[in-house]
Amino acid sequence: MTDTAAELDLDGALAETRVEELLTTLDTELVGLVPVKTRIREIAALLLIEKLRAQAALSAGPPSLHMSFTGNPGTGKTTVALRMAEILHRLGYVRKGHLVAVTRDDLVGQYIGHTAPKTKEVLKRAMGGVLFIDEAYFLYRPENERDYGQEAIEILLQVMENQRDDLVVILAGYKDRMGRFFASNPGMSSRIAHHVDFPDYAPEELEAIAGLMLGSMQYRLSADAERAFADYIARRRSQPNFANARSIRNALDRARLRQANRLVARRGSTLSRDDLMTIEADDILISRVFNEDADEARAPVGS
Amino acid sequence: MRLTQGTFSFLPDLTDDQIRAQIEYCLEQGWAMSIEYTDDPHPRNTYWEMHGNPMFDLHDAAGVMVELVDARATFPRHYIKVNAFDSTKGIESLRLSFIVHRPDPEPGFTLERHEVEGRHIRYTVRSYATDRPQGERYP
Amino acid sequence: MVSISLPWRMESQHERTADRYRAGVLKYAQMGYWDPDYEPKETDILALFRITPQDGVDPQEAAAAVAGESSTATWTVVWTDRLTAADVYRAKAYKVEPVPNSTEQYFASIAYDIDLFEPGSIANLTASIIGNVFGFKPLKALRLEDMRFPVAYVKTFDGPPTGIVVERERLDKFGRPLLGATTKPKLGLSGRNYGRVVYEALKGGLDFTKDDENINSQPFMHWRDRFGFVMEAVNRASAASGEVKGHYLNVTGATMEDVYERAEFAKELGSVVVMIDLVIGYTAIQSISKWARRNDMLLHLHRAGASTYTRQKNHGISFRVIAKWMRLAGVDHIHAGTVVGKLEGDPNTIRGFYNILREPYNPADLELGLHFDQDWAGMRKVMPVASGGIHAGQMHQLLTYLGDDVVLQFGGGTIGHPMGIQAGAIANRVALEAMVLARNEGRDIWNEGPDILAAAARTCQPLMAALDTWGEVTFDYTSTDTPDYVPTPTPA
Repeated sequence: MTDTAAELDLDGALAETRVEELLTTLDTELVGLVPVKTRIREIAALLLIEKLRAQAALSAGPPSLHMSFTGNPGTGKTTVALRMAEILHRLGYVRKGHLVAVTRDDLVGQYIGHTAPKTKEVLKRAMGGVLFIDEAYFLYRPENERDYGQEAIEILLQVMENQRDDLVVILAGYKDRMGRFFASNPGMSSRIAHHVDFPDYAPEELEAIAGLMLGSMQYRLSADAERAFADYIARRRSQPNFANARSIRNALDRARLRQANRLVARRGSTLSRDDLMTIEADDILISRVFNEDADEARAPVGS
Repeated sequence: MRLTQGTFSFLPDLTDDQIRAQIEYCLEQGWAMSIEYTDDPHPRNTYWEMHGNPMFDLHDAAGVMVELVDARATFPRHYIKVNAFDSTKGIESLRLSFIVHRPDPEPGFTLERHEVEGRHIRYTVRSYATDRPQGERYP
Repeated sequence: MVSISLPWRMESQHERTADRYRAGVLKYAQMGYWDPDYEPKETDILALFRITPQDGVDPQEAAAAVAGESSTATWTVVWTDRLTAADVYRAKAYKVEPVPNSTEQYFASIAYDIDLFEPGSIANLTASIIGNVFGFKPLKALRLEDMRFPVAYVKTFDGPPTGIVVERERLDKFGRPLLGATTKPKLGLSGRNYGRVVYEALKGGLDFTKDDENINSQPFMHWRDRFGFVMEAVNRASAASGEVKGHYLNVTGATMEDVYERAEFAKELGSVVVMIDLVIGYTAIQSISKWARRNDMLLHLHRAGASTYTRQKNHGISFRVIAKWMRLAGVDHIHAGTVVGKLEGDPNTIRGFYNILREPYNPADLELGLHFDQDWAGMRKVMPVASGGIHAGQMHQLLTYLGDDVVLQFGGGTIGHPMGIQAGAIANRVALEAMVLARNEGRDIWNEGPDILAAAARTCQPLMAALDTWGEVTFDYTSTDTPDYVPTPTPA
C-alpha cells in the first residue's frame, strides 16, 4: 500500500466515522478539561489508526480499551464516558454504543450465590456498549476477607479479558482511592489501557460553566451578580464537599429560588422580561458561604 | 427423526451468526430473551427447564450468546431453545421461539393406540426418551 | 307503501309536538330521524351506510328513512310513539356526504341508542341494522359500510373463545404465520382416502388441514368416518414431528343438535379445532362459540356465502362489518382475504379487515376503509385465514401484506405438488421459515424475496419443484371492493 493510499484511507475513515464531529461536541459542551480532551483525542486517534493498520494487515494485537477515569465529583467523568461510548461505537469498537452506569450495589449481592448472577446480568446488559463503574474501589474491601466484592471483581476480570469485543469497562472514582485499588488488584490494573485524570475546574472555568448553565435556562447574571458569583466560587472551592460543576448547578438553583422570592415580594409593581431573566447580586450574596461565622463543615454539599 | 417444533426447524441448523441476528431482531423489538432446555420434548411439554431467569433490557445479542454457550456446555445432549417474550398489553406472550441445539440422535415419539369400546381409539404420543430416567435419556 | 315525494305540510321544525303525532304520513326527516346537530354519544352504536337514493329523492330524507326503518319508524305516524321515550329510541341520521367520485351515492352516518339492542346478541343487532331497510323502495341500493360499537356494548359479548395469543400458546407455535391446506378434491373422497391427504400434508410440515365448507355428511363420506380417519392422521403426524397438529373438523349440520353432536365427537377424539360455515347463521355461531369456550376448542369460521352480499360496492354489507360482528360473536379463525390469491382483495381494504380482527384498537383510517375509531376493550383477537390460489412463490408478498398472525392456506399449492403432498407441505414450510428468517435479519424481502426463495430451494428439492411449477402464477384482476378515499398525491 502506498502512502497516498493511506492518506486517502484516513480521510475516508474520518468522514465515515464522523468521529471529528463528536470530538467537537465534546469541546463545546464541556468547559475546560483541556488535558482530558487531549487524552480523548489521542485515544480516538490511536483507535482510528489501529483500524487503518488492521486494514493494511498490520497488527499490534487487539487493542485493550478498558479505561479508568479519575477525578473529584462534578468534573465531567460521566459525560465524557457517554461521549467515549459514542466514539467507540462510531469507530466500530463496540456494536451499540450505550452506557450502563453502575455502582457496587448493582454488582455485589447480599448472600452466597447472589453476586455472580447479579454481576453477570449487569455485564449482559452492558454488552455492545460501555460499562461505567462509579467508585469502583468499593468493590474491594480488604478489611473483610469474605466480602462478595472480590467475586464480582473476578467475573469482571474474566469478561474484560475474554470478551473485549463485547464490551468496554470504565472504572471511575477519586484518584487516590483508585490508585490504592489498582495497587491491591494488579490483575485489574494490568487490564486498564488508558488512565484519564480529570482535574478540578479553575475558577474562571467554573464561571464559564455557570454562564452555559444559565444560558440554557434563559437566565443571566447582572454585572454585580457576576462579581458576587466570582467571589462565591472562590469561597466555595475552599470549603469541604466541593463538587465542581455539580456545586455550581446547585448554587444556581438556589439563586433562582431567591430571585423568584425577591420578585414575588415586589407585588404591586410590574415586572419586565428583563426582571424575569436577571439574577442580581443579592440573590447570591444571601448564601451561607458569605457568612464568615457559619460552621463550614455543616454546609451540605453544594450549598 | 427431526423435532420440528420452533420457528426455524425446517431450515438447516442455524449457525451462531444466524442465531445472533435473530436475537438482535428480538432486542430491537424490545422483547426479553430466555433460554430453556429439556430432555423430554413432548409436543405438550410446555415447561422446559429455564436456564436462568429471562434476560430483560439487553442491548446486544452477546449477552444471550454468553448464556447459550454456557447452556450448550452444560447440556450437550438436551434440546435447547431461545425464546423472545413481548410484554405489550394484549400479547404478553412469546413472539419467537426457536431450537438452537439438539441431541444426536433424536429418539422421537411413538403413537400409542388404546382401543376402547365401539372401536374407538384413544391416542397417546409418548417420548421414547422418557423410557429412561431423567439425566440418562441421551446416552 | 310510503311515497315520500308527496307534498307535505310546511311547518318549521318547531312545530308543536301534537302536530308531530297527528295521524297521517310525514317525511322521515320531519319525524326526527334527521338531526344534523346531533352529537353522537360515547355509548351510541354508529353505522355508516352507502345510500343510492331513487332519482329525485333528497339524500337527507333518504338517510332519515334508513335511520327510521332500522329503528323505530313505520311508514305512517302512530300515536303509540307517545307512550315511549320516542326521542331517545329514534335513530338519528346526523351526517350525509357525497361519496368521492360518485354522482349518485352518499355516505349516511346514523347513531343508535345502545338500549335499542339486546346485550350480546348479533341476531338482534342485525335484525335492526340490516332488517327491513335493505328492501326499502325509495333507495336503489344500500350498503352497510362500517359500524362503531361502544365499549359498553362490546363488553356484552364474550368474543373469540381462544384468540390469537392463547391459540399460539396452546399450539406452541410462535414467530411465523401458521400453515394450512384444504383437503382436495372438495367432494368425493372416502374417509380413508381423505385421512391419507391429511396425514401427508401434516407430516410434511403443515400445522393445520381443513375440511372444505361443503364437506358435511354426504353419501361418499359420513361425518363419523371422516372424523375417525382424520384424527388417526393428525395424531400420527404429531408423533412423527413432535408438533401439535390440527384439522378443522367441519361440524356444520342441518340442525343445532347435529352441530353439537359432531362437535362433541370431535372433542372426544382429541381434536384441537372445529369448524363451522357462516351459513349456519348468527345465532348458531354464537351458540357453538359458547360451546367452544366451555370445551377449550379453537373455532374456525369459513365465510361461505359472504361474497353474495359483501363484494359489490353499491349494495349489501362490507366484509369489514362482518369481521366486526364475528369478533363479537366469537370465532377464532375467519377467512379474510389474501391480497395476492384468486379471490377478491384490494390490499388496503384487506388490511382494514385484518386490523379489525387483530388489533386492540382501530383508529379511523379512510384509506383502509375504517370510518370509525373502534375500541375492542380487551376482546381477544381473531386469527385471519388467507386462502385461495396462493403458493410458496408468493411467500415474500404474503408475509409483507399479512404479517405473522395469519393462517396461510395452501390447498392446491400443497396437494398439487408434482412430487407429492408431503413434498408440497415441505416446500411451503421451508419457504415460510426462510422468509421469516430473512425478514428478521433485516433483509428487504419485498425485493429480494425471489432470491431468498431460490437460495432456500438450493437445499430443498421440493421447494425448487414448487417454484418451477407455480413461480409465475398470479391472479391480477381489478378489485371491486376498494376504498373510496385514496391518498391524494402531493405535488412534487
